Amino acid sequence: MKHQLKVEVKNQSVAVERFLRVVRHRGFSLLQLQLEVVDDKYFVNMTVDSDRPIHLLTLQLAKLIDVHQVELAEQHHQQAI
Amino acid sequence: MTGAELLIELLAKHGVKDVFGYPGGAIMPIYDALYGAPVKHYLTRHEQAAGFSAIGYTRSTGKLGVCFATSGPGATNLVTAIADAMMDSIPLLAITGQVPTAAIGSDAFQEVDVLGISLAITKHSYLVERAEDLAEILQEAIHVATSGRPGPVLVDIPKDIQLAQVSFKPWLAADDYQPEVNLNEVAKANELLKEAKMPVAYVGGGVHAADAQKKLMAFLNETSMPAVSTLKALGSVLPDYEYDLGMLGMHGGQAANLAVQKCDLLVCIGARFDDRVTGNLSKFASNAKIIHLDIDAAEVGKRKPAEASLIADLHDSLPLLAHPQTDGSWLTHMKSMMVKHAWRYDYPGEKVFAPYLLNKLSQTMPSNGVVCCDVGQHQMWVAQHMKFNSPRNHLSSGGAGTMGFGLPAAIGVQVARPDDFVITVSGDGSIMMNIQELATIRRNNLPVKILVIDNQRLGMVRQWQQMFFEERYSETILSDNPDFVALAAVFGIKGQTITKASEVDDAIQALVDSKGPYILHACIDEQENVWPLVPPGAANDQMVTEVK
Ligand SMILES: Cc1ncc(C[n+]2csc(CCOP(=O)(O)OP(=O)(O)O)c2C)c(N)n1
Ligand SMILES: [Mg+2]
Repeated sequence: MKHQLKVEVKNQSVAVERFLRVVRHRGFSLLQLQLEVVDDKYFVNMTVDSDRPIHLLTLQLAKLIDVHQVELAEQHHQQAI
Repeated sequence: MTGAELLIELLAKHGVKDVFGYPGGAIMPIYDALYGAPVKHYLTRHEQAAGFSAIGYTRSTGKLGVCFATSGPGATNLVTAIADAMMDSIPLLAITGQVPTAAIGSDAFQEVDVLGISLAITKHSYLVERAEDLAEILQEAIHVATSGRPGPVLVDIPKDIQLAQVSFKPWLAADDYQPEVNLNEVAKANELLKEAKMPVAYVGGGVHAADAQKKLMAFLNETSMPAVSTLKALGSVLPDYEYDLGMLGMHGGQAANLAVQKCDLLVCIGARFDDRVTGNLSKFASNAKIIHLDIDAAEVGKRKPAEASLIADLHDSLPLLAHPQTDGSWLTHMKSMMVKHAWRYDYPGEKVFAPYLLNKLSQTMPSNGVVCCDVGQHQMWVAQHMKFNSPRNHLSSGGAGTMGFGLPAAIGVQVARPDDFVITVSGDGSIMMNIQELATIRRNNLPVKILVIDNQRLGMVRQWQQMFFEERYSETILSDNPDFVALAAVFGIKGQTITKASEVDDAIQALVDSKGPYILHACIDEQENVWPLVPPGAANDQMVTEVK
């Protein structure tokens, strides 16, 4: 199933590497990725696809120290961290 | 003050008295700052061992474990220990030297992209890019390693930043996200607890991480709920608890596995439904509703959905659980299962029987002694046949199952707890993986005890070859092992070899009574297997107890 995510991460390229690694490792393939710098943050829009339930990814992303917020677009479901 | 001096001062400020490591070019300024410093450095003989010693240090005390390595090969040698800490949620701080900032990305001598390597094996990691960030990064690193669900953190420090003049800046943790217990979930959980007729508490490593043994025992004592433990939880449920069913899972006891398969409520306390615990997941505790307590939201519903989840520090969540008295008929059934499936030590042969030997060791060694295991059959026998009164006293590489863990971990424990009895229980395969650490024992006159259970085999793999690979014993026969007692003697360590059951009692006494380091080399039958065993893919009530 496809999901659109908005992720807010620290403005450091390693932060992007870190969460992309998690996306791959947790079994989600990347269909689309957009990255934008605003102030001191990266705003990332991405579409991922997997047979696995999306909470298996969002909860892992939310744990990362560099990730400030993960938002699941379709469900307008926010996890403030 | 230089960056290197700042590091040492900061560690001292955080109460770090001992660190483990190995020097090299890119970390020389830090080693220079260590010279004569109040933080004592223990030179191991391999960086991997420095990592495991730091893990032993922290797991046996709750204090932060710290290891140092130089750039390139020094840092890559730490990888296995850091990954081990990641799998077992251990607060480890790894400091690596890096080539100077200007040389990064030029394939300089001993340059490896350590930050890149660290991504998959740390809770978090840093490359310090500016000297003025060093103080903050180090403080944040210690905070990240030790807060929430603990884990390893790596800080890679280029040599020029170690040498740069820096000043200390205090760092305060930003408003830390503290998961708050959801009271709706508590109400749901308490409803489930009251309805349950056949509950079981499934206790995991979270109790150790949260240092919540007292709260756990309060809950158990008030409810009399039967308790099963994961490998990492062993010691959390006190040995005199009436309904302690011991370890569950692939090599768990029959009473533990059968209780979980039958229960109608499973209260998961800081555990994560690991595949070695659950066997066939769809058949695991399939009659049970689940209450899941964990500080890490990502563990809840990862492998098995929960009817109620309390995502918080166990200190906060455990006391919120209701404590209805467990149904008497369920407890009577548990008692009869415990009697029916009690371990047996009446081995018919004349050879040394490892379960008996370990049970004897458990009874003979001081109750606050620490056992550091290696990985294999001997590790499972320790888990089955020894009793611990604290998870700080049983250290086993759980999630990663890393051979070579035991000896360096025991060294770290002995440094942290110089007056306690510390022993590594190892196998003839595992002991060779970090055998060079005998030199660290000798260098520091550490009274670490070593028990090598020698089956002249990579026994655990051999058992699987026997059961699942048609007895094709590919590369698991170690009949050409060295003479372990002679090997230890080279490092000034005394010991003896035993081969017969009749020698066990005296040999264990001699080992426990020995003042300095000591090695007991116990030769056992190469055909011995670990029972019970849940075959891969089977449900946990399909335990096998012999080779068909
Ligand atoms: C670093 C590492 N390499 C390989 C393995 C796979 N492995 C698991 S148990 C085992 C055999 C261990 O042999 P030994 O230490 O003699 O213990 P025994 O099973 O004989 O008691 C092996 C090779 C591992 N766990 N860790
Ligand atoms: Mg062996």
